[in-house]
Amino acid sequence: MVDGVSRFACVRVEAFAAASLERCEPGLREQPLAVVTGAPPATRVLDANARARAEGVRPGLADAEAVVRCPGLVRRSVSAEAETAARHALLEACLSVSPRLEDAAPGLVHVDLDGLGRVFGDESELGRRLRRHAHAVGLEACVGIAGSRADAGVAARLGSPVHVLSPGAERAALAAVPLATLEWPAALAATFARWGLATLGDLAALPRAGVGARLGPAGLAAHDRAAGVDRTPFRAWTPPPFWAEAQGLDWEITTVPALVPVLERVLARLCARLAGAQLLIDVLEMRLALGSGGLHARSVALAAPLGEAAPIVSLLALEIEAHPPPAAVTGVALSARVVPRRAAPGGLWQPPAPAPRDLATVLTRLTLLVGGANVGTPVVVDSHRPDDYTLAPFDGHAGAGDAVPGRDDDPAQPHPIAGSLALRRLRPPRPVEVDTHDGRPTRVRNTSGLAAAVEISAGPWRLSGHWWDTDAWAHDEWDVALSDHTLWRLSHNRLNNQWFLTALYD
Amino acid sequence: MLVDRLLRQGAMTELVGPLSSGRTSVLTLCLRAVTRRGALAALVDVDHAFDPGSAAAAGVELRRLLWVCGEGRRRDALQALDLLARCPGFALVALDVGESPPRLPLDAAFRLRQAARRSGVAVLVLGARRVVGGAASLSVRTRHDRLAWVGPGPMPRRLAGMRTGLHVVRKQGAPWPAETERLWWTA
Repeated sequence: MVDGVSRFACVRVEAFAAASLERCEPGLREQPLAVVTGAPPATRVLDANARARAEGVRPGLADAEAVVRCPGLVRRSVSAEAETAARHALLEACLSVSPRLEDAAPGLVHVDLDGLGRVFGDESELGRRLRRHAHAVGLEACVGIAGSRADAGVAARLGSPVHVLSPGAERAALAAVPLATLEWPAALAATFARWGLATLGDLAALPRAGVGARLGPAGLAAHDRAAGVDRTPFRAWTPPPFWAEAQGLDWEITTVPALVPVLERVLARLCARLAGAQLLIDVLEMRLALGSGGLHARSVALAAPLGEAAPIVSLLALEIEAHPPPAAVTGVALSARVVPRRAAPGGLWQPPAPAPRDLATVLTRLTLLVGGANVGTPVVVDSHRPDDYTLAPFDGHAGAGDAVPGRDDDPAQPHPIAGSLALRRLRPPRPVEVDTHDGRPTRVRNTSGLAAAVEISAGPWRLSGHWWDTDAWAHDEWDVALSDHTLWRLSHNRLNNQWFLTALYD
Repeated sequence: MLVDRLLRQGAMTELVGPLSSGRTSVLTLCLRAVTRRGALAALVDVDHAFDPGSAAAAGVELRRLLWVCGEGRRRDALQALDLLARCPGFALVALDVGESPPRLPLDAAFRLRQAARRSGVAVLVLGARRVVGGAASLSVRTRHDRLAWVGPGPMPRRLAGMRTGLHVVRKQGAPWPAETERLWWTA
């Protein structure tokens, strides 16, 4: 991989609507399959797998004509939920290789390869890895790698499983690619044919302004695609906060033994996706679509987060036996609440961290009790302003088992220094009246009139900040021991000449 | 080690003392020891008095500390302590009740002790006076002993440290020397 040059991979699943159904029913891969839409007699082929295409079945063909061309054709109605699940599965598979990817279209993902060479090896290995991850979630993909998303998209259509275009050689390599390799709007394709354009090189050689003047925005986009120029920004995809898989059934299921294999398949797909994202299932929600039109929803909380399908299927079967659906089942949907898989166990001699679900429950209850702004991990802000901190969300596994070496005290000393003197903060600081002599505090009175003499004082410690801003502050801090045997930190605001008790040594 | 004598798994320890007696420094010492071992600690802070800056300077690993601010609501703080004491996995759950400790009925205190015993959490309660009474297996009173100032001339330039005396009020099988123990804290 060449440093300083953008490199993209295009991961493409051909005939995606058919592939998403094959993912749900793997047995369909061995048969010619057509995805059809519309009510008879207007039913038309929407998509077809490679075996059906080899028999002459094409998208747009009438259902009856498709059956005539391929007598053994298996037809399935288009399934929006299977397609959505497959689309997410492909994105998540790519996400386990690169953190930056773009959801270009159903079955088409652009992956930013910047910096991945040092992690995974050369670009061919990266392409093979992307294919392996897509295969793991049940999708067969082709990968093209080039310097722009447009060129990578063309490379992914050239037929080989992984096609790498060397940096700087894309134009020469793609100039001879026929225009018919890419999908064009029918009017545009007709115009290109009328102009005598046969290859991408022919189209790219035309002046862009001239193409734009004659064909409008569609012509400009086609010219950019042929020239391998990306004019749209890279829209990075972020994974959704929920994980779901679903499968519609063409038949009704009335018994648990018949339902279990379906649940097993759906759950296996979900677990494969979660494994790629290093997540485990904590709670599984099952929704069964019923033949009566209703919905039977059950929730199964696992005793410990799991990533394997087999034990969860047993739990689902037990749940269904205990609470059977009131009618025949026509569809299955599973959605998981997930917890991150721990990268490594804690140390052998370290106390175990709280179970993720226990900790999440406790944190939720604490948040309800005292408010979200009052629960978290303190983080000291890198600032000169005293008592500058923020609260970050508490992570029970932050550095778990990562002990800091060193002794906590020194037993060799007769009177060891136990540690540092701690402060107790007054929030907000308490205003006080202070008598001074030669600039040093001698007596402190609070707002209710209680007074104490200052026995010893040390200071001032001068602090200031943000003098360039409206939020400017300037303090003199004093450590004072009062006659009531308390030890305070006094602060003198030099901007408005006010005194405050800010903290107590304790 | 002092922390091992103060904190025992599944037991409650009470630390009482007036202002500037060093009880918060003892708490910080316990938090430091627990978090530096790689374990998790939780602090329920009724008066929002915990100072992350001085705790970090004392060596507390803040990323392993769960801080719950009670904003003065003592009843909520006790509920928060109860929730945390029932969650196995925390090595230390501390409650700082501040200067106006709430009344905790004896049965509630013993229920809290049972919860800590079941989950194996060490519970530390600190305040101006005793709260959990007989439910604590160890009660220690802190006392301001002496201050040390440094600097040339008649006027000190800097607070150098403070000495705290620890005196056992109640112990139930806890190993502790009979005489008062003295600790120096550096400022």
